[in-house]
Amino acid sequence: MEDQQDIEDNSEKNLETEETAPVSQSATPQPSKETTESEEESTSLIPIDEYLASGVHIGTQQKTKDMLNFIYRVRTDGLYVLDIQSTEERIKLAASFLSKYDPSTILVTSARQYGQHPATMFAKAIGAKSMVGRFIPGTLTNPQMEGFFEPGVTLVTDPTGDAQVIKESVNVGVPVVAFCDTNNQTSSVDLVIPTNNKGRKALSLVYWLLAKEVAKKMGISFNYEFSDFETEI
Amino acid sequence: MAKPKVKYCTTCGVHLAERGFVRFPCPSCSNELGRCINCRQQSNSYTCPSCGFEGP
Repeated sequence: MEDQQDIEDNSEKNLETEETAPVSQSATPQPSKETTESEEESTSLIPIDEYLASGVHIGTQQKTKDMLNFIYRVRTDGLYVLDIQSTEERIKLAASFLSKYDPSTILVTSARQYGQHPATMFAKAIGAKSMVGRFIPGTLTNPQMEGFFEPGVTLVTDPTGDAQVIKESVNVGVPVVAFCDTNNQTSSVDLVIPTNNKGRKALSLVYWLLAKEVAKKMGISFNYEFSDFETEI
Repeated sequence: MAKPKVKYCTTCGVHLAERGFVRFPCPSCSNELGRCINCRQQSNSYTCPSCGFEGP
């Protein structure tokens, strides 16, 4: 399954580079192209190729109306492709949003297998709390429960898988930040980060980038590489 | 002196009294925004009045 995803990612990467390269060459003269490239590099978190290699832009064969603004195009095989620019922009915005809260009040959750290690590492890197695997109902709403926690903000990996966390966050009046794919509904989500939330590499990359940006904005030292966030197969 | 809290939903203007509403700083400019439970559940978009940021 994962191998197939990797193959798809790589084929998509080649396809994208083949498609975009001639357009940029013909559209702009050589000197101005260099300046725009250097400007892009200075503003973007990582080179676009790294996003493509991790398959951050790969969506699903379903789309929802909520996610329509973040969809770039549809491939011939029916797969919807996300807009990487908006992904990056939203990662920056989410980082600035999360940095406004005390790190100890940030709750990171992931019911999804591939999101569990990156979510734990994210929490470790910025000093937040992580709850991975099955979320026990009542953790945010029942004060008598063991492990009761009152978060300031919640970060979820998948709105479908982490539905219980979102439900309880709504009940207690906590804002929800979520990684959303093309097939997700953004009901009860207050800030969407459009990304592939199913791929191993994609989840590792977005969590690593977000952790790096949050740490930068909070003034925390960040000594982790991308490989530290990557889930082992 | 603390800033007065937002009393109305940024999207629909309803009074923020019913359980399930949320107040949070704008991700772009830190201006406080409010969302009522209906707008949250229906995923109605909100626009920051000071910077024009559109969410969710």
